Amino acid sequence: MSVTGTAEATATVPRDSRQIALVDLLDRLLGTGVVIAGDVVISLAGVDLVEVSLRALLRTVEHEGSS
Amino acid sequence: MAEPGRYLYAVCRGLTPEAVDGIVGLGGGRIELLAEDDLVGLVSPVDLDEYGEEGLRRNLERLDWLEEAARGHDAVVQAAAAIAPTAPTRLATIFFDDDAVRRRLRERHDAISAALDRVEGHEEWSVKVLTPSAEAAPEPVPVASSGAEYLRRKRAEHDARTTGERDAHLVAERVHEALVTGVAASRRLPPQDPRLAGHQGTMVHNAAYLVERGRSEEFVALVHQQTDAHPDVVIDARGPWPPYSFAMLDDA
Repeated sequence: MSVTGTAEATATVPRDSRQIALVDLLDRLLGTGVVIAGDVVISLAGVDLVEVSLRALLRTVEHEGSS
Repeated sequence: MAEPGRYLYAVCRGLTPEAVDGIVGLGGGRIELLAEDDLVGLVSPVDLDEYGEEGLRRNLERLDWLEEAARGHDAVVQAAAAIAPTAPTRLATIFFDDDAVRRRLRERHDAISAALDRVEGHEEWSVKVLTPSAEAAPEPVPVASSGAEYLRRKRAEHDARTTGERDAHLVAERVHEALVTGVAASRRLPPQDPRLAGHQGTMVHNAAYLVERGRSEEFVALVHQQTDAHPDVVIDARGPWPPYSFAMLDDA
């Protein structure tokens, strides 16, 4: 179910908001608030740490226009 | 290909092999269950050229790769969460072999169990509050009669936006206070960047709510009520989702 309200909204409820928008999914799976363009540290096998810059990601998105 | 790594999607309790029949992992790999005490890790083999340290460095900065990985990860989590208490892992939680996964499950048993206890029988709802997008075309404004008049007008517009946002923040707090009354837990999340999220207006509230299964109708009714009570903001509620914000295994 999905509910979006505005002053002028109708009562229609979009069929399936079980589908998670990519930005919401990435926020949760990457745990950074990815849109803040921070860095994410990925733990590899609990030992190695891989640090990835998401600024590059944001530049990609800007270049493509939208996600 | 060298020995594949093990991509860990989530840890569950009470999941049986038949339950994951037909669920496909990233790269088409078969989902395997690694049981350790009462916990079950959901894994699939992945190519370390793609999912090893160097591969991840490359791939995590590509939106198309990220999207495919996130969707694939989510598909496994959704399938598991539908049938068993599930604690998802962060994207790209990869181990070199099964023993390493089992060791992790043993070492983190109590923390993982607590997370599963918290979310068992519950689902996540996402609720965002935004200021409305700009209304219909603005009325034509007569040319400012002077530079000072122009600046005054610009300042007034800025103040109106700022006031509008401040008011929306206050409304969002009221909405949040109303929503938490019926939920097991809530978690505030950072507002999203419109360049990625694509929304109009300003996001003044972004939160996750942990709702007991079977009480989602009640929660949605509460959202509707808040929507009616606050016509000056946009309330965007979606769900039910797996409890990503309440059982994430951060150190998995």
